[in-house]
Amino acid sequence: MATLADAAVPLDGASRNAFVANLPRALTILVTAAAVIAPLSLILYQSFLSAPFFDAKKTFGLDAYRFIFDDPDFWSALRNSLMLAAGMTAIAVPLGALLAFVMERTDFPGKRWIEPMLLVPSFVSPMVLSFGYVVAAGPVGFYSVWATEVFGGVPWGLYSLPAMAVIAGLTHVPNVYIYASSALKNLGSDVEEAARTTGASPFRVATTVSLPLIMPALLFSAVLVFFLGIELFGLPLVLGDPEGHLVMSTYLYKLTNKLGTPSYHLMAAVAICIVAMTVPLVLLQRRLLQNARRYATIKGKAGRIRELPLGKWKWLAVAIVGFWLLVAVIVPLSGILLRAFVTNWGFGVSLVEAFTLDNFRAVFDEPTHVRAIVNTILLGTVGGALTVACYTAIGFATHRRNDGWSRVVDYMVLVPRAVPGLLIGLAFLWVFLFFPPLQPLRQTIFSMWLAYTVVWLAYGMRLISSSLMQVSTELEEAARTVGASRGRISREITLPLIRHGLLGSWLLVFMIFEREYSTGVYLLAPGTEVIGAQLVSLWQGGAIDVVAALSLINIVLVFIGLAFALRFGVKLRD
Amino acid sequence: MIIRTAAALALAAFATAALGQAAPTGYPAAYAQTIAAANKEGKVVIYSALDTKAAQPLIKDFSALYPNIKVEYNDMNSTEMYNRFIAEAASGQGSADVMWSSAMDLQVKLVDDGQAMAYASPEASKLPAWAVYKNEAYGTTYEPAVFIYNKRLVTGDEVPQDHASFAKLINTKVDKFKNKVTTYDIEKSGVGFMFVVQDAKYFTGMPELEKGFGATSYKVYSSTGNMLEKVSSGEHLLGYNVLGSYALVRAKKDQSLGVVLPKDYTLVLSRVIFIGKTAKNPNAAKLWLDYVLSARGQKLIGSDVELFAIRNDVDAEYTAASLNKQLGNNVKPIPVNSEIVTYLDPKKRLEFLNAWKAALATGAK
Repeated sequence: MATLADAAVPLDGASRNAFVANLPRALTILVTAAAVIAPLSLILYQSFLSAPFFDAKKTFGLDAYRFIFDDPDFWSALRNSLMLAAGMTAIAVPLGALLAFVMERTDFPGKRWIEPMLLVPSFVSPMVLSFGYVVAAGPVGFYSVWATEVFGGVPWGLYSLPAMAVIAGLTHVPNVYIYASSALKNLGSDVEEAARTTGASPFRVATTVSLPLIMPALLFSAVLVFFLGIELFGLPLVLGDPEGHLVMSTYLYKLTNKLGTPSYHLMAAVAICIVAMTVPLVLLQRRLLQNARRYATIKGKAGRIRELPLGKWKWLAVAIVGFWLLVAVIVPLSGILLRAFVTNWGFGVSLVEAFTLDNFRAVFDEPTHVRAIVNTILLGTVGGALTVACYTAIGFATHRRNDGWSRVVDYMVLVPRAVPGLLIGLAFLWVFLFFPPLQPLRQTIFSMWLAYTVVWLAYGMRLISSSLMQVSTELEEAARTVGASRGRISREITLPLIRHGLLGSWLLVFMIFEREYSTGVYLLAPGTEVIGAQLVSLWQGGAIDVVAALSLINIVLVFIGLAFALRFGVKLRD
Repeated sequence: MIIRTAAALALAAFATAALGQAAPTGYPAAYAQTIAAANKEGKVVIYSALDTKAAQPLIKDFSALYPNIKVEYNDMNSTEMYNRFIAEAASGQGSADVMWSSAMDLQVKLVDDGQAMAYASPEASKLPAWAVYKNEAYGTTYEPAVFIYNKRLVTGDEVPQDHASFAKLINTKVDKFKNKVTTYDIEKSGVGFMFVVQDAKYFTGMPELEKGFGATSYKVYSSTGNMLEKVSSGEHLLGYNVLGSYALVRAKKDQSLGVVLPKDYTLVLSRVIFIGKTAKNPNAAKLWLDYVLSARGQKLIGSDVELFAIRNDVDAEYTAASLNKQLGNNVKPIPVNSEIVTYLDPKKRLEFLNAWKAALATGAK
């Protein structure tokens, strides 16, 4: 607190120096605050109106809330969201924990090349994955047709709520796996060996020794997955559509049209309801993460880790991992691969005869799609670098400063994560429309970039701060004793030391930006096309051929990022 | 000084020679001034619900006709068009010069809300009276609502030829068509909603049809493409009220997809076009509007663009004339007028939606 207050009254020479020294920090914090608060306050304000906020006929009141609370669809969406979130947590957490144990602790064959595959679902857009499921395993998907030929029927369904929960659960396993496996890495293997010598099976070691020791990490990831479940959009949009299952975010999306004209006030009210659920979860996550770190350092004796021999359990482990890979990675991705190269599909259609390259021709013949591809690449590479630079600036503004401002920033960066990307995008559209200095930039990719950067603030800040934390205080203190200013220490000591971490963050941000889709839905305009949002729009428009081809291109981009990350030894986790 | 003036005059004369284009035949002579002003504007910004790819032949031909006017064609879905237009208009930044959309009700609402510029097109007299609204908005196409079916799995007498037989089919063969009937989600698709409102006017068996939808647990989508895809693949077998312009085009390449123009009556939708009140390029916008309504533009709409031309006097594959010849008096175009905005009133719309759901429930049991 003191620093900013001081900065405001530059009196003598000393405080003028302090002012100059603090200016970058104050500016960074102010810009961050503006970027986060402007769109959010617009949403809040809109939720108390009866019409779009720019409409002259608007009135103040609680009508929007009254309407949604009266709407049976709202309650069924809420129920579905909670059930889906609970179901996917119940599936993802145990499976993710087990996978982490198998990969970190045992002599499972081929771990090296399987690990990157395990993370694939978390880097592929849920929109793309869901679309992959429909064409691969929908009622007449490629695999369903084959299954019908073999078994005379399709022994699975995709469009029911439980099916969605299973798919969401399986595709969110990486989110659990990442945290569980880092926690396991920090844990000495001596206790496990002790258990092993008394004759416990690998499964028993996992369930009674290792996993209980990483309970805080599991708890954290459970809250995370539950939270992601509340926010789920792409999956229920694609898979929930045919049977009309709504969740909170698709209900919000549906309100765009339900009354014939856009009902921004209703959408904003739904968003506020979602935020009311997600903010506590985000805060809980934060608390758990802090606890988990403490827990791990107390318990952890990160010594040499010896692999547990799986013995006769090996085949079971292979079967489980293989099954998961099949369902969560191979089925959807192969579905898209196939669909991208055929004209039509279904019962009695020969795939060989239907083979075509027209879908790709259609993409490359269409300037908007080409622009979308170019923009998406630019957004990930150049934009990603700028984003990392912004995050780094914010990181420095709070690094090793335990004052009130740092705490404010700490909480502030978490908030955008709690709002559905769909609505943040809409709010940014309003900001760009009605805030004169930004108006000229609206139809440029900058609008998309700003929204993406704000939405992924929390994720990015975690990457940056974990890099910053690795720089020991001694080095900074040494520089300070020889009289270096804070700015100089940051530039000449800390920044060079974390450059590898920053490079890694850049790659991760690249992949996240390639994957993002909901934030861009309303920001999509000529000039700002990105693949993710384009896919949502094309899917709604039903241009399935193009959706398949663009999805495949999107996957290829993500895989290029992944390949670079592996090549440069970037840790695919924080 | 004199030389300078002479040079300027010569330049001006040269410019007029290059740019000065005479009015098309049948247009008032003053139209040449509109063309000159449009050339000065240099571009026209269009928001349209028709994909760029489909509109490409029109854009190309327009550019050939008026090479100095750049066409900035932006395709988006009809709701988004509306959203963007009202927000941009309210922000005072100017929006599209031309709005061209299949959401007839939203277009008419914008006109009623005073967002359109009055413009009496010289082509207006060539259009049916129901397609001209207040000299501000014009219907440009003639797109039927059709039934679609999977040709491999629905054959012979089963293929419904009119609304009554569609209703009867799904009410009698509930097992075969369980989960296999599809139509627009009227809560998400404005076009779908508009069609069923019209159906209620012409088809007395509507409750029966809704009951059948409920009994077969019909599947709803917001996009035509999705329905075409799912019926073609066999995931669904029958589609109701599908936009025929898209269906017929796909059916031409896709052997699995069948299309029926209902014999009892066929609803026809007309894409509505108008010029934005605050258009930055009003003259270029006029040229585009007139071009789309002209015989030259309409001929393309009926052929390469693969929508249906609304004008009776053009000869092409897809035209109002050919449709009228096939169906006689049973073609029921949705008129471009205030009547169609009735259900944009939230209360009335909700009542309609609730009644629809209740009717479905009687079949679902």
